Amino acid sequence: MSLRQEVEAKIRKYICDNYLPRSAEVNLCVDENLFDSGILDSAGLISFIVYLEKSFGLTIPDEDLLPEHFSSLKAISSYIIEKTRSVPAGE
Amino acid sequence: MKKCIVWDLDNTLWDGVHLEGDIKVRPEARQVIEALDSRGVLHSIASRGEQELALATLRTTGLLDYFLVPQINWEPKPKNIISISKALQVSLDSIVFVDDDPFELAQVAYMLPEVMTVDAVLTRQLLVHPCFRVEQNTQEAQLRRRFYLDEQARQDAQREYPNRKAFLQSCAMRLTLRPMHKGDLPRVLELMSRTHQLNTTGRVFAEEELVSILNDRRGGFCIKVADLTDRFGGYGTIGAAIVERCDSSWKLHLLAVSCRVLGRGVERAFLASLLDDAGKAGCALALALFRETGRNRAMLALYQMMGFRKCGNCDGEGIAEFSRVTEPPPAIPRWIQVV
Repeated sequence: MSLRQEVEAKIRKYICDNYLPRSAEVNLCVDENLFDSGILDSAGLISFIVYLEKSFGLTIPDEDLLPEHFSSLKAISSYIIEKTRSVPAGE
Repeated sequence: MKKCIVWDLDNTLWDGVHLEGDIKVRPEARQVIEALDSRGVLHSIASRGEQELALATLRTTGLLDYFLVPQINWEPKPKNIISISKALQVSLDSIVFVDDDPFELAQVAYMLPEVMTVDAVLTRQLLVHPCFRVEQNTQEAQLRRRFYLDEQARQDAQREYPNRKAFLQSCAMRLTLRPMHKGDLPRVLELMSRTHQLNTTGRVFAEEELVSILNDRRGGFCIKVADLTDRFGGYGTIGAAIVERCDSSWKLHLLAVSCRVLGRGVERAFLASLLDDAGKAGCALALALFRETGRNRAMLALYQMMGFRKCGNCDGEGIAEFSRVTEPPPAIPRWIQVV
């Protein structure tokens, strides 16, 4: 599995478990806008951010809370991959 | 301010031990439940025992309908209190826990220090405790329990739909935006002090300030309130916005939306409609204030996801200005009809 697939699968699982608890949304498309489809909203995004920070070891600053980073599975995965790359490696 | 009381049953809500014999509801407990319910305080249960049996007994006392999401089982009470907090979307620091057992009180105080614990012998004092004081009962307060029951019906209905959007569309939400009038005063004050997550600045305007805006003594200021209904019932007045408009400049001083309508795009629809109005009134640029309160990051996210960007640093009171052009107006979620 590529890094992207791995990140995407992890995020998809989290979204399905936490925001779609009772409906089977297995076919959630990577390009689907999570806000326009009612899956995420402003408060949902904040708990999602807490999860991303914890599970990928990142700090997501306020100025990054933008549509280009968080509107779809694809956008979130790209953002996470980009962020993980830019975390400086340990000594 | 506290929003919910979680009751133990044996020797707290009633005298006696349910599984061992007859019980009798303590008159002071009944009095507290009835009085605080009418002030908009919610009630729930975290008690050891058998859920079915205890609920059957509660029904005979006439108190069953007061209790939302009762947790009667053999789980630790802190765990049950967390479940109640999640189900009712009431934060732990808004919960009061009443029990007669010093061990249970200490355990909750230790594991969940945000929860206020009260010994059952002090039940009567809850009636006069300042954390339950309300200036004026609003219609929303008297119906608050009803709103939560409607919400339960919504969550149950959601199971019938293949996805979230189909469910939201089926709800037929109608958001009515209208200028605030005098009768809305208690509710607007309540929204400003009770809403935390969906509150852009946390500023509680004084009643006199609101009155002077209503009487048009504060040039350019106006207050819009939002009412919401859906096929399950009415939510009442769920949001308020304080806007200042002067010629072609437009500034949002406060947007507060009840957490009861969290998770369905209502705050987005409200802000989008306000921006749409601003654009139509000839204001090319919209400014919106934000002050971090430690609990309202969702509103910062809302601003930025809707195209607002921070312009300039915080002032001395920690208030930052955000701006966005009003054209094109942001999209209103398609499942919400704004009227």
